[in-house]
Amino acid sequence: MFGKTIGTGLGTVSYVVLLTALMAVTPDALAVPSFARQTGMACEACHTVFPELTHFGRVFKANGYVLSNLKQVRDVSPKKEQLLELSEFPPLSIMAQVSYTQMKTSVPDLSSVGAPGVAQNGTAGFPQQLSLFYAGKIAPHLGGMIQLTYANDSGTIAIDKTDLRFADEVLLPNNGTLTYGLSLNNNPTVQDLWNSTPAWGFPYASSNANVSPLASTAIAGGFAQSVAGLSAYVYWNESLLAEIGGYRSAQQGVTNSLTGGAGPLDGTASNVLQGLTPYWRLAYEYGWGRNSLEAGVYGADFKVLPGSASGSPMPLHPPLNRFKDVAEDVQYQFVGDEHLFTVAGTHIHEAMTLDAAFGTAAANPTNTLSTTQLQATYYYRRKIGATVQYFSTTGSTDTLLYPATAPGDPGVVTSANGSPDTRGWIAEANYLPWLNVKVSLQYTWYSKFNGAGKNYDGVGRNASDNDTLYLLLWFAY
Amino acid sequence: MHIENQNRGARAALSGRRTATPLWITCGVLLVTVSSGSHADETDLALQLRAEKVAITVCGTCHGRTGVNAQPKFPVLAAQNANYLAAQLKAFHAQSRGDPDAIAYMWGMASELDEASMTALAAYYAAQAPQAGRSGNASEIATGKDIYLHGIPSEGVPACSSCHGVDAHGLKDFPRLAGQHSQYILKQLASFQSNMRNVAIMHGVAQNLRLPEMQAVAAYLEAQP
Repeated sequence: MFGKTIGTGLGTVSYVVLLTALMAVTPDALAVPSFARQTGMACEACHTVFPELTHFGRVFKANGYVLSNLKQVRDVSPKKEQLLELSEFPPLSIMAQVSYTQMKTSVPDLSSVGAPGVAQNGTAGFPQQLSLFYAGKIAPHLGGMIQLTYANDSGTIAIDKTDLRFADEVLLPNNGTLTYGLSLNNNPTVQDLWNSTPAWGFPYASSNANVSPLASTAIAGGFAQSVAGLSAYVYWNESLLAEIGGYRSAQQGVTNSLTGGAGPLDGTASNVLQGLTPYWRLAYEYGWGRNSLEAGVYGADFKVLPGSASGSPMPLHPPLNRFKDVAEDVQYQFVGDEHLFTVAGTHIHEAMTLDAAFGTAAANPTNTLSTTQLQATYYYRRKIGATVQYFSTTGSTDTLLYPATAPGDPGVVTSANGSPDTRGWIAEANYLPWLNVKVSLQYTWYSKFNGAGKNYDGVGRNASDNDTLYLLLWFAY
Repeated sequence: MHIENQNRGARAALSGRRTATPLWITCGVLLVTVSSGSHADETDLALQLRAEKVAITVCGTCHGRTGVNAQPKFPVLAAQNANYLAAQLKAFHAQSRGDPDAIAYMWGMASELDEASMTALAAYYAAQAPQAGRSGNASEIATGKDIYLHGIPSEGVPACSSCHGVDAHGLKDFPRLAGQHSQYILKQLASFQSNMRNVAIMHGVAQNLRLPEMQAVAAYLEAQP
């Protein structure tokens, strides 16, 4: 688990809260009506139901979000070079999520040491998130999706998912096509075309007022919005995608301790990527009739300098912690006029080499972590639908990385046996009165949480106590 | 036929050009988007090349790069009557064709097309090799053939062939139906019945058709070369 390595015993609870806040930003997703305004096409062209993409939506994204059917303001040079091609109005959208979260068993109230009560159960998020998008064409061959989000847990506005793309297309012999492009983005897999990879995977929205398990992989949002990555890709005949890129730390709200400027990063920053983190992706999609089947692999190799995550400011030099993620994904879609059906899943294997954390924040020099998610979604006429997901996390036991409850502490976000193993199901029912408005009822069951089903934290909390009911109103305009 | 021959001539000219300069290099500097803007000074060849690239890279995602596709939601356009295609693009542009997929997809896609682009796109598809006929349920196809060629006089349904041709290749402004996806034909007949696609002559033809009869005609047409 990437994030946990930055914690030491002292900051366990506050760190987990921080991690939870970070993750709350990560799984959100969107439908962006400005794309519909730009193309003149209804949501259904690019989405089964937002945010899941259809084949057309994948092609639109690979081509840089630039397909436009709007009047353009133009400028050309005397040599007929295009100098400007500007849509007549900017591709702006807003998105809101309003939610209500009820946990099966409330968490302890820490406000009164020695006589703890329980925290109020039933959290209203109003809004849970409010986002502003610039989503659409910027110039010929250049487009982007830039999300700015207010979230209720941070109480501030921050940069969210961002993907700027340059793309062009050439014709090949026998009417083949080759799209080639660059993506400049802030979250590994946010640039991906399928909904089987982490950034756009299910659950598309989830509670930020529940208890999250200790472990997750680095590529599944561990560095979301704190990196800048540039990747180059080719997309052959709208079926084979090959992409390679690199990520570098681009932390928000961090300043250099000497100059007070936005950089360079120094030892007061946490979890800084050393050099360039390589990212790679290979996927193939086969389409027939109303069906499509995709299978792919992706991965990244994060070398992380802990800096102040070591417990106090530490110069940014080795030893470091390394998280090597290799993943497979698969997605099947049937897109009918009345019935829509999707099965998608991914398995991520993470190999950790914890040279920096070993002995202080990790009991083992190396660890492994595997996550599996597999979900099936059905929609009737894009109006009513449901998704069921199975999720599982397994990994090596590490009593420092996944620490036990300290004497007198309330537990909940700990693991009595040092195991990250977590398993459960999510069931979600959705109703869309209109294609840009979704009402969701989601329930998450845990059969295992941080290593055990019963008394996982050693102070009496069971995995099922973290079961969560989540009601969401989600719309975009 | 005159129009199709003309377009095949244009296609041959394009092929010749491709030999001299690879098409993909030429196209690399052309516009990608459908948005047409002003192309008043564009030569016929440049217009054709642009239309070809748009057809392959934009329209092709749904309709297939040469107008033959495997997605029955979207019609086969290969070898379609150019007059008919241009008329449909104009109807999408004017938002006068109102079946659901036309509204969701084509109203937007055609909104900024100018007449020259519509004509060039129509010519591109008219010049493509047609979809081969596909096999289906033999008895359904036989029933469909009978309805297609002779109508159902007792129900006041005229023969489809009188307008669409005995070979279903289309006549003048009437579209080619041979090789079309049966699911697409069924959906269009339903849209004519409900008048969402408001074409008086087809509303009159389709209003008395029952579902099994429509299915039979659609199966017959999908099987035709």
